[in-house]
Amino acid sequence: MAYKVILDNFEGPFDLLVYLIENARMSIYDIRVAEITEQYMAYMEVMEQADAAVSSDFLVLAAELIDLKSKMLLPRLHTEGEDDFKEDPRRDLVERILEYKQFKAVSQMLAEREARFRYVLEKPREDILAYTASPKEELIADDAQFVRAFHRFLQRRKRLGEIRRRYESSERKRITAEARRAFILRLFQEKPGRHLSFEDLVEDKDDAYDVALSFSSLMEMIRERKLSAVQAVPFGTIDVTAGEEIRTEGEDDHDDHTRREVRA
Amino acid sequence: MTITRGVKSALESMMFIWGDLLSVNDAAQILNITKAETVSAFEELKEEYEKEKRGLRLRRVEDSYQFVTPIENADYIERLCRPVKKRRLSQSALEVLAIIAYRQPVTRGEIDQVRGIRSDRVVDGLIKKKLIEEKGRSEGVGRPILYGTTANFLKTFGYASLAELPAISDFAEDPDTEVEAAALYEDGVMTNQISFAEVAEGNTSGKEKA
Repeated sequence: MAYKVILDNFEGPFDLLVYLIENARMSIYDIRVAEITEQYMAYMEVMEQADAAVSSDFLVLAAELIDLKSKMLLPRLHTEGEDDFKEDPRRDLVERILEYKQFKAVSQMLAEREARFRYVLEKPREDILAYTASPKEELIADDAQFVRAFHRFLQRRKRLGEIRRRYESSERKRITAEARRAFILRLFQEKPGRHLSFEDLVEDKDDAYDVALSFSSLMEMIRERKLSAVQAVPFGTIDVTAGEEIRTEGEDDHDDHTRREVRA
Repeated sequence: MTITRGVKSALESMMFIWGDLLSVNDAAQILNITKAETVSAFEELKEEYEKEKRGLRLRRVEDSYQFVTPIENADYIERLCRPVKKRRLSQSALEVLAIIAYRQPVTRGEIDQVRGIRSDRVVDGLIKKKLIEEKGRSEGVGRPILYGTTANFLKTFGYASLAELPAISDFAEDPDTEVEAAALYEDGVMTNQISFAEVAEGNTSGKEKA
């Protein structure tokens, strides 16, 4: 069977199903399930090959179609004495397809109306402040007050400007944890015996981010026993030295808890 | 009940200044007349403007009225001030909107059910465009949010109220097909049965696909 390559995407699985049914000139009320399922699956394969993402919703309907196909193959049961009532397994699907088609028709109607009524224009609500009674605002201040106020305004702007710049610059040169680690490790690997204070490990002491990053890297490396630290008094200087494992490289370098557990 | 000229004139001025929808209640209060009189005045104005084919028309949305421009003048207005062109709604947006319009209030889940596809992003988009809004929560599990259409929806599609939407049955299948189809069903049961030949055919393809 030759398949026409459809360039337009279908709105959804029902859209595709309706198309296939109409294309095969089937009556909705008598769907040949096996045939339509085969076409549907084939179309999904075409979509996948064309690299179009086949959303899971399409797969859900595919599963339903396959399920329906198997139901259609089963002989219809009916017990003696009861009404010869054979529930058509297709009924549910047919109802859903009809419902979908209804709303699709509605959407087409809405599209036409929208195209027509978009040329009916309104004037947005007016800004009628000019008409409402508003108290007159007068500036009551002497020269000195005015100058002070203006000065404060300038200071504030300057502060905001600085903050903004700092934020921008730290955004730009966002030092990664790895880079920080490498930097600190190198300091001790070059000269194993050295003592450094925590402050020495931080590149830009004014940058809160840098300080936090350096500290957390330090903590991690202490845990890995690559570094050792001593703080003699609370809030006193933190004296950092090389740890036992300063030279060891390996999987421990990465904060990979799962691997760590496996090794343990 | 004669509507004084003064009333109609006042309504015209108010609609002009306000621009947006002017509610009948507000107008009645301002003019110190009854709601019924206000509605009559509005409707008379509407008729007059239409009969005389004026450059302004009245549009009703629920219980409010406003001035709008007639479609035939849209060109001139565009040349004058290039009004912001609203992007056309996508097919999926229209489908979701159709479902909400006729089934409201309705949950996202119910919308997805009808379309057979998740409609989250479309719903969000429609909320942004102010075509739908939250209308409370369903009593069901998880108390999902219910959605319904807005006044903006009515404006966009040229309806004065939801009552003006055509009946959903108008969109059912072609009557001819329906009659044919009805013949196939008897008491909700298909009279056509699958022949063994068809079953055999179905079976083979099933095997191949598996």
